[in-house]
Amino acid sequence: MDNLVGQGRLAIDMIVDPDSFLEGVVGSLQLTDEEFGPGAVIGTASLNGVICTIIANDAMTMNQKFPVVYAGIIGLEEGYKMALAVYHSIEADRDRAPGEKRALVLIVDTPGNGAGKLEEIAGMNKATGAYQMALAEARKAGHPIVAIVVGRAISGGFLCHGLQADHVLSLAAAFNTMIHVMPLTSIARITRLNIEWLQDLAETNPVFAAGPDFFYRLGGVEELVDSIPAMRERVIAHVAEVRALKAAGKEDQLGPWGRGTLGEARGGRTVRGRVMQTMNEEFAAVADRYLK
Amino acid sequence: MSSDWETLQNRSFLESNARARAIGLVDPGTFTELAGPRCRLSSPHLPLLGEAVEFDDGVVTGVGLYGSRPLFIASQEGRFVGGSVGEVHGAKLVNIVRMAHQAYARMLADNPELPEERRPAVVISFETGGVRLHEANAGLLAHAELMDQFQDCKGKVPIIGIIGGRVGCFGGMGFVAAATDAIIMSPFGRLGLTGPEVIEEEMGKDEFDASDRALVYRVTGGKHKYVMGDCNLLVTDTIAAFRQGLGKVLAMPYVEIDRLRRIGSLEKVLTQLRTVAALVEISPHDSRDVWTYAGNAAADKLVDMKLDEFLKTVKRLEIAS
Repeated sequence: MDNLVGQGRLAIDMIVDPDSFLEGVVGSLQLTDEEFGPGAVIGTASLNGVICTIIANDAMTMNQKFPVVYAGIIGLEEGYKMALAVYHSIEADRDRAPGEKRALVLIVDTPGNGAGKLEEIAGMNKATGAYQMALAEARKAGHPIVAIVVGRAISGGFLCHGLQADHVLSLAAAFNTMIHVMPLTSIARITRLNIEWLQDLAETNPVFAAGPDFFYRLGGVEELVDSIPAMRERVIAHVAEVRALKAAGKEDQLGPWGRGTLGEARGGRTVRGRVMQTMNEEFAAVADRYLK
Repeated sequence: MSSDWETLQNRSFLESNARARAIGLVDPGTFTELAGPRCRLSSPHLPLLGEAVEFDDGVVTGVGLYGSRPLFIASQEGRFVGGSVGEVHGAKLVNIVRMAHQAYARMLADNPELPEERRPAVVISFETGGVRLHEANAGLLAHAELMDQFQDCKGKVPIIGIIGGRVGCFGGMGFVAAATDAIIMSPFGRLGLTGPEVIEEEMGKDEFDASDRALVYRVTGGKHKYVMGDCNLLVTDTIAAFRQGLGKVLAMPYVEIDRLRRIGSLEKVLTQLRTVAALVEISPHDSRDVWTYAGNAAADKLVDMKLDEFLKTVKRLEIAS
């Protein structure tokens, strides 16, 4: 097997305990309409003997009601369906201690959000926002959330499905994984900059180049996984690591904020921290005037 | 200072720059800019690509007062690389939100009985196409950080979005705006995820004709967002009107502000899903089809109607539960 691009369902089976995935069911949620948000696969599985919620993309289907939603694109129904899975995970474990909240595993292979007129009339920004807000709420309620990129993690699609996780893993570039906002050819066209020059620059500056290696250097991906069979073990290990950090009160090392710090440590995003520090220092000097 | 502030009030919000908007939205003479141009915190990435920089990286961040309430403000400048979010710009946005909930925690520690009208609030004037392509990856990661900081504010610190600039609010910032507690727009404000030009490029002119400016405004503009409930207040295009709208929201008890949200709970997701199902039924080709469905018999007339008359006439979309 060369790669898993377009194979979200296969990736689920390779990560969770054998034959444990129950599709459409999360806590009290039971989805039976197969035509509802088919680009998103949600359900419950067992991971190393422990219950977890699975949220993945299905690139092999299309949404009959929304012609722009196919090949793993997250449309209106898909975004809200993913949000439902998260809220029902929170609800199912509401009475559990923070250390016993079920993990959420996000299996990422999406080229983006639905781009269509109907989507804009309805407000596609709300559907993708709703899922991200649900994930942030679950993360802060104690659920460990681990995302693994198995195919495409493109721009707004990656923000929607992936970047709100506690930890983000990605299969290495050798497995044709793609992480970017736009390919360099498109960046060159829109910014009217020379493509060969951009390609040279991309070697040394990770902030605009495409690929999982650059996101790793920016702290946007915690770990690159170098074999397909290793995915399962790495996801299990990261769920455990995230759980331990939460138990130790080290939430600041997790999620988008943790990746900000990681970006600085890896030398990829070095001005971010300086900007924030300047603001904090300047505010400290005038704070008494405002906070009474 | 205050005479300058007075002249700002009647200015067009659309025509004003980001700094004038920030100064004019808060009480006279109370705005203090943080990490302003004097700090020269410009993008380290743009010069590598031979592009010009600005010393504020296209966003004005600072604090001000609205009555006794501290406001943490970010105001994006659409004239600089389309208000786009790069590393510095993103860090300023993320940190202004973080400062607000940290200030709230500090005030609450000093005074557990802190009255609601003194709680900090976040105000973001969105004018942006989202991620800055020249430093795309850093910009993308900043969007995720913003959503994370918003969650820390939820239930504590109100976040109010303002959309009235020329560029509108698109790309990733479209969902960041959707995640605020309340949104105030003028009819000139535009809000969406994928801009019409991008839809046309990806899906063809049959899907969305981006050269049809009237269609673009009907689908993404303030009036449609008001009908949909995607913006809470629609105001005229002056700084004073936006400031007044801000006052209206801030005068509400926090529980009521929280009810203005469109998303952010299971209940709200279920409501949005009912709206989506209704739209599938109508299969609209234009926002006017939705306006008609909402009970506006003369939807065409609403398009060019003056704002005060529009607000008196329009029926907003209500989906039965």
